[in-house]
Amino acid sequence: MRSPWRICLSLYRRLATAYPHEFRMVYGQDLDRMGEDAVPEAWRRYGLAGLVRLLADIAVRLPGEYLAEIRQDLVYALRTLAKAPAFAGIAVFSLAVGIGMCCAVRSEIQSIVGPPPGVRDPAMLATFVWSTASYPYFERYRDQRQAVAAATAVVGPVPFAVALSGDKSARAQRFYGHLVSPEYFTTLGVTPAAGRFFAPETEKPGMAPVVVVSDRFWRAHLGSDPHAVGRRLRLNGSVATIVGIGPKDFQGIWPAYAADLFVPVTCSTNLAPELSGDPLNRPDRAIFRVVFRLSPGVTMRRAEAVLDAVTRNLDRENGVQHDRDRQGRLVRLMPAGTMMYITPEQTAFVNTFNFVLWALVLSLVGANLASLLLARGSQRRREIAVRLSVGASRARLVRQFLTESVLLSFTGGLGGIVLAYGMTHALSAIPVPSTTPFEYNIHPDFHVLTVTLALALVAGIGFGLAPALASVRADIGLTLKEGAQAPLRGYRRFGLRNLFVAGQMAASLMLLVVTWYVAAGFLRTARLDPGFEVANLNLASVDPVRDGYSEEASAALFAELPDELSRIDGVRAAALADSVPFANLYAAQPNTRMSAPTGDGQGTQVLQPVFRARVGAGYFAALGAPPVGGREFDRRDGRTEPLPAILNQTAARALFGSRNPIGRPIREGILDYTVVGVTRDAHSGILMAKPVAAVFLPLQPEGRVTILVRGTGGRNTLAAVRDQLAALHPDLTVFNVHTMRENLDRLNWFIEWDSAIYVVLGLFALLLASIGLGGVTAYAVVRRRKEIGIRMALGARDRQVRALVLREGMALIGAGLVFGLGGAFALEHALATFSDVLARTFDMRTGDPLLGVGAGVSLLLAGLAMLACYLPARRATRIDPVAALREQ
Amino acid sequence: MPIDPAEFLPLHANWFHILLSLVGCEQHGYGIMQEVIERTDGAVRLWPATLYGSLKKLIGAGLIEGSDDRPAPELDDARRRYYKLTGLGRRVLDLECRRLEGMVRMAQEKRKQEAYE
Repeated sequence: MRSPWRICLSLYRRLATAYPHEFRMVYGQDLDRMGEDAVPEAWRRYGLAGLVRLLADIAVRLPGEYLAEIRQDLVYALRTLAKAPAFAGIAVFSLAVGIGMCCAVRSEIQSIVGPPPGVRDPAMLATFVWSTASYPYFERYRDQRQAVAAATAVVGPVPFAVALSGDKSARAQRFYGHLVSPEYFTTLGVTPAAGRFFAPETEKPGMAPVVVVSDRFWRAHLGSDPHAVGRRLRLNGSVATIVGIGPKDFQGIWPAYAADLFVPVTCSTNLAPELSGDPLNRPDRAIFRVVFRLSPGVTMRRAEAVLDAVTRNLDRENGVQHDRDRQGRLVRLMPAGTMMYITPEQTAFVNTFNFVLWALVLSLVGANLASLLLARGSQRRREIAVRLSVGASRARLVRQFLTESVLLSFTGGLGGIVLAYGMTHALSAIPVPSTTPFEYNIHPDFHVLTVTLALALVAGIGFGLAPALASVRADIGLTLKEGAQAPLRGYRRFGLRNLFVAGQMAASLMLLVVTWYVAAGFLRTARLDPGFEVANLNLASVDPVRDGYSEEASAALFAELPDELSRIDGVRAAALADSVPFANLYAAQPNTRMSAPTGDGQGTQVLQPVFRARVGAGYFAALGAPPVGGREFDRRDGRTEPLPAILNQTAARALFGSRNPIGRPIREGILDYTVVGVTRDAHSGILMAKPVAAVFLPLQPEGRVTILVRGTGGRNTLAAVRDQLAALHPDLTVFNVHTMRENLDRLNWFIEWDSAIYVVLGLFALLLASIGLGGVTAYAVVRRRKEIGIRMALGARDRQVRALVLREGMALIGAGLVFGLGGAFALEHALATFSDVLARTFDMRTGDPLLGVGAGVSLLLAGLAMLACYLPARRATRIDPVAALREQ
Repeated sequence: MPIDPAEFLPLHANWFHILLSLVGCEQHGYGIMQEVIERTDGAVRLWPATLYGSLKKLIGAGLIEGSDDRPAPELDDARRRYYKLTGLGRRVLDLECRRLEGMVRMAQEKRKQEAYE
């Protein structure tokens, strides 16, 4: 058996060899020799304990030596970067902007499709796409235990006129909330911060009105009152007792439309007029959104099949027939655990578009950093050769390069985080044109920040490593002799660096084309002809039910109001609608599905997603867009069956093709309508090139209405309308009073803000590509310094030298543009396939504008890139031939 | 700018022993280790990595330097490096000795006072 000290010596030698190269260069031999003396001596003097102590000493000091070298590297890297402030500044700036943008984009995605705060296991939540359900249907869905662990029915967001005390004289403010089935909180997995939530046992029709308030409401409006539970509020004129306070951050199932009040659906219709008409017992009142918590192990598809079968049975039992979609389904499920109610089509848009932006910006920044580091690595070859020749190890030099790259990435990453905070804050501050309060709170997501920062570090390390490896493999002798002009092993004319620059040009072009489309799409929406007369159109809103009107009184008011207002001097026409036309973010989103017989004689129905609006008599006349076929609603409509409907031209085409739709039936759920008129397409919504199919149904006497008043020019019609309303209906609150022009301006402001973001993104791409190209061209000039010197000594003129340098840059620009245009074309098609919204955006063009846009953007990019090449080319003409030749 | 020797005080015990070993003669690492053991009757032992780590730092701080003076060829081991004190190292050691003497003096006075009481 070997003596313990011999084993110890062997281990000692291994550990000593593991010490850093530079330490070993100086002390390696001494350390080895010392071991030979010290190990037997330690064994003799102290026995096994001595050997252990000796080994522990050399092992413990090992990481310390490496740390000391890393510290040295860091100081050296800081000094080196300080000597090249332009390089360091550009690298850090582009990284910071890139990371900041990527982070903001990813955080924006999270704020739309991310999980709602405070909800347990949101991935298990599902809801129906487009469709709402009636309460009896919901009750049967809820009991499908093989697929559904829990379910809740929600109506909302609904407005409440809230007085903070039960006192009748207290002034009311408008807040939004949800009308919920008693299972709401248990389905979402939310527990109260104080008091209790609802339960089927406690919430029954006829019981005293109760309300749960959000933590935000409790803090902001109840002064964080510790005794708030039990306090009474006046909601829409009825007194309700606070029974519970929601947990911190919880704002309901879709927090983008934040809910501050939660009222059980079992409450009286006085408290919630939306529940008029006995919806809890009527299978034809499909007003509830149903949120399911799927049973563990049940997939969305499986649950969909179960719920589809249940719907068929329910339809049979109730003697009704819902229409099926193209796949033959009655219901379709989608994830519900998101920040807003967002359909799979919208999710596809958000995900694909933002992902593409994210990937392009990141690759652009990566390519820029790579070409900068590669160019810089080449410029430092002489320094590397000197260090190698005086004994520095190659590993140490590689580490030195890595330290510099990591330092750059880290600084850029930190800058990016700061920028991401600023950008998300700015994005959150954009007021969204929407009739219901819409909270678009983007916070930099910690997970996103970590991933982006890690990616930046990986990119820094990756791109830092390549030039380091290339440089340390170079022939030292040749490099020392010829400096930066010596060829690199494996370096070709179109090597890695040129590939990065061409790739960068291509990515910039793709980013530019895509952002151009979106920005142009936004701006074109702003300039679109809305399809009606904007001038002298005034808007005001009223909500009589919440001012204490009964359903009948409200219906009577809606019937009288247009005539009352038309009698005002200076008013040409007045009409009512359930929403503001055109200037609404959601006016272009389909919100229901309509079907019509296909006309094949077999009774099959064609089901189309459509935007549904409810409008009163004389609406189109007041709008200044009379129907192109048939008639518009008059005062008799809405009272007798069958109910009338008006289609826009797009809806008529989608539902009936070339057939005349007038007099034909259409159906929404189980309600039948007859088409009485067709109107012109009014462009509406953002990014919508093509008008969306729209169906107009008669106004119902519930909830708020917008009054459209067409005045004559030069008169203050709005003031007269206000006075008239105050005189005739003193108890009616008039709100959101403004002109249509103001409304459009608000929308345009939103559009312009959004466009500006894309313009900045595009400019950033341009800037990065130019910097990258300029850097590489400058490097090429340094590399060919001697050659240029010889040419100039032989009589080459400035023009010829400039052409020599520019030729190489132009080759790169050309290659980048070709790849970029091809990529942009492919990307446009890919995006259009993925997202319906983007398909419509790209469809805005007339003819084939990719060529036009591509040519324009390419020219701009090429121009800037040429300028970036020209500057180093001009510098090349100033090379002193004698000095350049002497450098050998 | 000349470095103030006082900046190094109080001196790390290992540094003190190494500097002390180099007073009056050049030494190689193993020699320093042996001298420290002998001088302290084995109470202080500088293990190899600790010793060379300290030597590296002492050179970096300018308190010692490598020496080209080699002993007689029959005593010389070509693989060993010799070290000697620099002027700064000598001043630092002097200051440290004085500081330690002062402390010892203080301790002794305290003891005397204790015995008196």
